[in-house]
Amino acid sequence: MSTEVAPPGEEEVGAVAVVSEHLTPDDRIWLLRSMLLMRGLEERAMSLYRQGRVPGSFYDGFGQEAVSAGAAFAMAPEDRLCVLHRDLAAHVIRGVAPARILAQYLGRAAGVTRGRDGNVHFGDPELGCVGMVSMLPDMMLVATGMAMAFKLRGERRCAITWFGDGSTSRGDFHEAMNWAGVQRLPVIFVLENNQYAYSTPLDKQFAVDPVERAAAYGFAGVTVDGNDVEAMFEVTREARARAVGGGGPTLIEAVTMRMHGHAAHDDMKYVPKAQVEEWRAKDPVDRQAARLAALGVDVAEVRAAVAAEIDLATEEALASPMPDPETAALDVFCSGEAEVLGDGVARWSGWVERS
Amino acid sequence: MPTMTYLQAISSALRDEMRADQRVLLMGEDIGEFGGAFKVTDGFFDEFGPERVMDTPLAESAIIGCAVGAAVVGLRPVCEMQFADFISCGFDQLVNVAGKMYYRQGLAVPLVVRMPSGGGFSGGPFHSQNPEAWFMHAPGLKVVAPSTAVDAKGLLCHAIHDPNPVCFMEHKHLYRRVRGEVPDGVFETPFCARVAQPGSDLVVVCYGAMVEVALEAVADGLDGASVEVLDLRSLVPLDEEAVLDSVARCSKVVIVDEANATCAAGAQVAALIAEKGFELLDGPVVRVATPDVPIPFSPPLEAAVLPNVERVREACRELLAY
Amino acid sequence: MSSSRTDLLVDVTMPQMGVSVVEGTLVAWRVGVGDRVEADQTICEISTDKIDTEVPAPVAGVVAELLIELESTVPVGTVLARVAVEGGAPADVVSAPPASAQPRSAAPVAAADNGSAGSDGRYYSPIVRRIAVAHGIDLSTVAGTGRGGRVRKQDVMAVVDGGGAAFAPAAEPPLHIESPYRPEPVRAVSPRPEVTPTRVLAPAPAGAAADDSAQLSRMRRTIGEHMKRSLETAATCTTWIEADMGRVEASRRRLGVTALAFVARACVGALREFPALNAWLQEDGTYTRFDREVHLGIAVSLGEDGLIVPVVRDAHELSEEGLAARVRELASRARAGGLTPDEVRGATFTITNPGQYGSIMATPIINQPQVAILDLEAIVKRPVVVTDPDGNDSIAIRPMTVLGLSWDHRALDGALAAQFLAAVKRRLETAA
Repeated sequence: MSTEVAPPGEEEVGAVAVVSEHLTPDDRIWLLRSMLLMRGLEERAMSLYRQGRVPGSFYDGFGQEAVSAGAAFAMAPEDRLCVLHRDLAAHVIRGVAPARILAQYLGRAAGVTRGRDGNVHFGDPELGCVGMVSMLPDMMLVATGMAMAFKLRGERRCAITWFGDGSTSRGDFHEAMNWAGVQRLPVIFVLENNQYAYSTPLDKQFAVDPVERAAAYGFAGVTVDGNDVEAMFEVTREARARAVGGGGPTLIEAVTMRMHGHAAHDDMKYVPKAQVEEWRAKDPVDRQAARLAALGVDVAEVRAAVAAEIDLATEEALASPMPDPETAALDVFCSGEAEVLGDGVARWSGWVERS
Repeated sequence: MPTMTYLQAISSALRDEMRADQRVLLMGEDIGEFGGAFKVTDGFFDEFGPERVMDTPLAESAIIGCAVGAAVVGLRPVCEMQFADFISCGFDQLVNVAGKMYYRQGLAVPLVVRMPSGGGFSGGPFHSQNPEAWFMHAPGLKVVAPSTAVDAKGLLCHAIHDPNPVCFMEHKHLYRRVRGEVPDGVFETPFCARVAQPGSDLVVVCYGAMVEVALEAVADGLDGASVEVLDLRSLVPLDEEAVLDSVARCSKVVIVDEANATCAAGAQVAALIAEKGFELLDGPVVRVATPDVPIPFSPPLEAAVLPNVERVREACRELLAY
Repeated sequence: MSSSRTDLLVDVTMPQMGVSVVEGTLVAWRVGVGDRVEADQTICEISTDKIDTEVPAPVAGVVAELLIELESTVPVGTVLARVAVEGGAPADVVSAPPASAQPRSAAPVAAADNGSAGSDGRYYSPIVRRIAVAHGIDLSTVAGTGRGGRVRKQDVMAVVDGGGAAFAPAAEPPLHIESPYRPEPVRAVSPRPEVTPTRVLAPAPAGAAADDSAQLSRMRRTIGEHMKRSLETAATCTTWIEADMGRVEASRRRLGVTALAFVARACVGALREFPALNAWLQEDGTYTRFDREVHLGIAVSLGEDGLIVPVVRDAHELSEEGLAARVRELASRARAGGLTPDEVRGATFTITNPGQYGSIMATPIINQPQVAILDLEAIVKRPVVVTDPDGNDSIAIRPMTVLGLSWDHRALDGALAAQFLAAVKRRLETAA
């Protein structure tokens, strides 16, 4: 039961169709800003990595920024997110300061995890994000559990989790899908199908297009152009409406392409050049920029503002200290009260209507 | 004060907590209408309903993972593994997601995983394990193991209040064999050791079902010797002070593990004593433990591997004479 | 023990030649009733399952009674003869030790076959050592009730609770008999481990239970201190050599002296040959080697109270008979408490000879600041291989003894020790 999103009331503006009628021009600009911040921060971090200033491994979501930007933009402040390693835009949208993101990559004390976990393995609890673990897709179960709690308490809110095509082969994917389907939970499963799990292509990963599995577990599955940020927003907005309305989970298969290697150490030689070129033409940032330009937005100014923000953030992050070694063994256990996840920033104009 | 069995004390803890705190949620297989494999939640379904006494799919990883999600948004889930042995199916979620979350992200995960452990009833290799050592070894998890009815309730209440993930090792053998006075209502037993029986010539350090075994082994006085029995009760945090106090008093130590010997909880206690109690010792640290074998099914085989009264008594006798 | 100013009869009893020996046979009298005897002079010869040996007179006096028939076999402890000590005898006379008592060393020797006191190679657990240090208890004096005679925590606690020796060595005033142990300032009890854990005693014999009410004499405690200190400061090694005592046995019967005198004479000669064993290594590191003079310390048992080492000065000037006479005289005065301070000081080498009880080897403790001590044990008839001048081997029965030399590895090496022993052996076995 896979459907293409048929955007209602589509407006033809220039060469790029406006997909959603629920987005104001400001919303659209925020979507571009978020993607530009994600890309710019990752490029800056990659540069620092190549300078030897970023410890460990480096992962980015170059070329698939729309999958996290669009989906995260549809989340309410009280919704909860399990963000994955190519979804930096979700953190940006929820309100994590760019300087903290860079400090996180650099392993500084000011990083979101205070140096305790690396690269994108972070989530600011105060902004309602749960930091990922490396075993994928473990976080699908955490999101399912959060949704379960919302339902038990009768709350109109949802949980969202991102995961890749490779991770659908693991048991936790099926346990989460099954549990969510059995209990009809308000959870949104965003499957980032970026064509490769490290070097493993799709035809080695599954025999069935995973979006078809939603039906097997008893709920809706939808395929979307993962490189269209507004389409991502729209499909997620609908999934959310279904969720909080008691309609249960949605599996969103966002089709995109991982334009860089699995990590900075991977040169992705296994990807045919033609495939890379094909997807380059569908770059999500370029497409949204074109869309905004057609709306008369000064895209260059947006880019400049983002660049300046990133420069400032870089300065701040590089100036911040490394964590104190004396603290390495501290805070394994919580000794006070357990604090629940907090609300995040949500700039979509649609929330204004609710207050 | 009512007298009840160890199993009833666990039920009492769950019931009183659920009455007192709406956030408490039970998740497990067959715990709802069926009342649980061991009837711990018998009657709960009627009182609290299917949502708070949740029959989950057969999916240990999901039980733990969803419990993590529920915990970080404000619920207090108490997961039940039908047998402790099945925790291996949820190991990843417990160790990597729950255990490490606070350290990495500053996000507390207040959940409890109840694990009915232990052998002695021909359960065979997959229904008789004592897996607590795996979780002692995982940073961020607390591990407790009551040996008495009152501690079963007090430790479970405390575990539910604790903002960290707690592994609650309830021993199946003790369910109906141990009884005692247990207060009504919610109360907390601290995560520390308790002197089950004071002594001065030798101390037997143990926990769980081995406490009864130790008490019986030294009941005849062992030729007039004064033997102490220390019930660890809490494995993480481990009550180092209590262990070293007992060693200072007695200078001879026998440590009993029902778990497989290598790297069992008792091995950690032995290392602690060797490191911090060396000058208190009047003899080698002796361990009595199940050998490193899967727990066999047939009664004579199982009885041959699990520590029993005679093995503990013999170890004490020999060490006393040293 | 008794004391009297009139005639006193002192028993000569059948000795216990080894733990398992219960009887002995009288094979020969060496004296007759009315004979005058010196202390240490042989009264009779006996034969047991283990060895044949001589029984010495415990005191000087006149043989009053010979009580046993020749060739009769009597239990250990039976009175064989009596010696009358004349009126005017000294106040304190030590009668022969009761036959059933533990075999005692006449010298600072670590007994290897019982759990008695002395720096004894026992392992003390950490808590036992701590308690001992805290209460100033010498662990070598605590009987152990643990496995293998091990001192358990309860054993040392019993000493603490029983008000046992909480002595403060530093406050100890000098002895009435000036000890040969140099009166340097006594240090506090060392907290270091007593001995390496590998030397474990054989199980204590049955009946060797600790008697909590017994107190150690001041002398015993001081001796113990000295023994312990010796083991802690010296790098003590022990080397043994077997010697054929056939020539000595023949000579001494003729001369009426004990084997000790011959061994002493042989040592004196060997010490002149190897003066490195005739030296002092003092605490401050001062090393003094005596190339010409030999002042020989001879360990004398004082019964339960302990032992003392009177010194035969200028032993190099004495013959076997002279040495024997000097030793006899010093020993008797030692037992009477009549030694002068000069007579217990200044030895350059010590010999200990507890062999009358049948022990065959020992690991004596060096009498500091000397660098060596020789132990003479029992002479035992053994089958040995003898080679005739033509090179033919045959088995002969020879009286053999094992000479044990403990020496300080800080002052000399094993090769030298062995050479010294070979020189002693040579002198005993030949006339050279």
